[in-house]
Amino acid sequence: MRVVIAEDSVLLREGLVRLLADAGIETAATVGDGPGLLGIVDEHAPDLAIVDVRMPPSFTDEGLRAALAVRERRPGTPILVLSQYVEERYATDLIGGGAEGVGYLLKERVSDVADFIDAVRRIAAGGTVIDPEVIGQLLGRRRTGDPLEALTPREHEVLGLMAQGRSNGAIANDLVVTEGAVEKHISNIFMKLDLQPAQGGHRRVMAVLAYLGRADA
Amino acid sequence: MGELSRDSGFPGTAAGGARRAAPGGGGAAATVFDGAWRPLAMARSSLTWRSALYLATSFAFGLGWFVTLAVGLTLSVSLLIIWVGLPLLAMLMVAWRFGAMLERFLVQAAFGVAIPAPYRRMPPGRNPLVKLRAMAADQATWKDLAYLLLLFPVALVEFVVSLTVWGATFTLLFMPAIVGFGSGGVEVNLGVFSYWAGNPVEALPVSVGGLVFLVLAMYVTRSLAVAHAVIAKLLLGQSVSQAENRRLRERTAHLQASRARGVDAAEFERRRIERDLHDGAQQRLLAVAMDIGRARAKLDDDPEGARTLIEQAHSGTKEAISELRDLARGIYPAILTDRGLDPALSGLAGRAPVPVEVEVDLPERPPAAVESIAYFIVAESLANIAKYARATRASVRVAREDSWVVVEVIDNGVGGAVARPDGGLSGLADRAATIDGMLIVDSPPGGPTIIRADLPCTW
Repeated sequence: MRVVIAEDSVLLREGLVRLLADAGIETAATVGDGPGLLGIVDEHAPDLAIVDVRMPPSFTDEGLRAALAVRERRPGTPILVLSQYVEERYATDLIGGGAEGVGYLLKERVSDVADFIDAVRRIAAGGTVIDPEVIGQLLGRRRTGDPLEALTPREHEVLGLMAQGRSNGAIANDLVVTEGAVEKHISNIFMKLDLQPAQGGHRRVMAVLAYLGRADA
Repeated sequence: MGELSRDSGFPGTAAGGARRAAPGGGGAAATVFDGAWRPLAMARSSLTWRSALYLATSFAFGLGWFVTLAVGLTLSVSLLIIWVGLPLLAMLMVAWRFGAMLERFLVQAAFGVAIPAPYRRMPPGRNPLVKLRAMAADQATWKDLAYLLLLFPVALVEFVVSLTVWGATFTLLFMPAIVGFGSGGVEVNLGVFSYWAGNPVEALPVSVGGLVFLVLAMYVTRSLAVAHAVIAKLLLGQSVSQAENRRLRERTAHLQASRARGVDAAEFERRRIERDLHDGAQQRLLAVAMDIGRARAKLDDDPEGARTLIEQAHSGTKEAISELRDLARGIYPAILTDRGLDPALSGLAGRAPVPVEVEVDLPERPPAAVESIAYFIVAESLANIAKYARATRASVRVAREDSWVVVEVIDNGVGGAVARPDGGLSGLADRAATIDGMLIVDSPPGGPTIIRADLPCTW
């Protein structure tokens, strides 16, 4: 498996390369700014691009825009966006171009090495991994007459885990219930939120995130 | 600070207490210029009666001043040939300036119209001659004289007109009593028919006529009051350039005050950041360093203990990172620059411990300073709600109202929020003040709490 990295902090960039190498993942190329990402993705056609949000020249959402440009030019390129702060709006922008092979995590998750490597592999395989913090933000913002109010606390939990891109099995493990129970919760959630029951992991995540990320419902 | 006039450029930054009067509010009018002209409102307003009293009595003042000044001026001017005229004129001048001051007071008491004294500053020192010369050189002194001389004819007209309308009003209103107590009767002539009212009951219709006259009398009184107030403002008030100067002085004082508050707010903020760094991340990282140091010492003979310590250090660093992240976001949220208020506030709401409804309705992005202050007002308010309010839900609304951005944070908690000096709320008021905005806290015990900030989009 080969990745490319766009990250302006040398310390972190080198750390990431070493951490991935420990797990047997090869880093094909690295750049220190947003515009450079397109070039190395074109050149190496990697299995995954890892991108930092804040980079030169503008130090705002440079990396995110570079990631979106990559997704537009080479649809299906798996991308993992790392950010010092997670913001729901960035997540919804990112997912807007399809949730397959998309990850959006807090930078500090890197220090939980095993979990991080697992996320990297899942995204490269076309999965979706969204930071629990983002989901918390999405679930925390209320709108008038929000159907989320109708969910039970348990359904809330399941929705949150589902939105992070977890599989039914993983959710069942987390909540210590059977997979059957999880499926039941999920079908209830879809019914209450008036969503089309979607089969398959990322389509499901898509539906949930699209629902949560509506800018103004 | 009962109400705030937005165009004056001096919105008070009242943290607590001040409530803006509703537009066209039902409060009693303060002056004869802006009071309602509806008969009932006029009858209820004490202004009407204060004006009537003034108009009926000012004739006495007018006559008094006219005689005094006419005699005094003639005398002193004719005596100027021998030196006695000069001190006499000086005394007279002091007297009429005093009279003008009294008139300013009476006009304010009667019509509610405040007339600030227009005099130039007196030269320092105790030399009465210098002071007198300054008085004589001051244009306002001679305008005072003009007013007092004019008061006689003006007040005469007012007196006659008032006496006529009010006299007619009361005569008609109390006709039953007049008939009852002696006049023996009155002829009621309604044009179409007439009759002789011989007792109080028969005279009652006349009282109805009195009511019509009462309304007329109130209109006349109000009109005279407005006319008199205009004359008084012109002759006793400041000239245009003086008024402009005063406005500029007040504006300068206001800006100095708001600058000071801005500096204080920034200092307060820096102290807070330093304290948070010191109490939080610094201490945590120190603990981590100690754990790792102990782990290194144990590596050889107690690998299991070392592993536990490394675990501990690992979670310690993660806590430190997340604390630093929150702190940095508190200093300035990157998303605010990138995407504006709506997503930034959504993020805040998402991190709040209670469900928060967010509604941002801005046609375009306001200036960065306004965005940033609006964001911090919401952030601080939500933090307060989490800490003290014991609320179960809150809502945030940001909207454009003319040239203002209005920020409103409402929670259903226990209320009783007050802006203590050095507290978070007064810090917010200080921040708002830096751009001439204002903050209102309405938090009765038992809730709900409303924190509202009005921030100008241009300043």
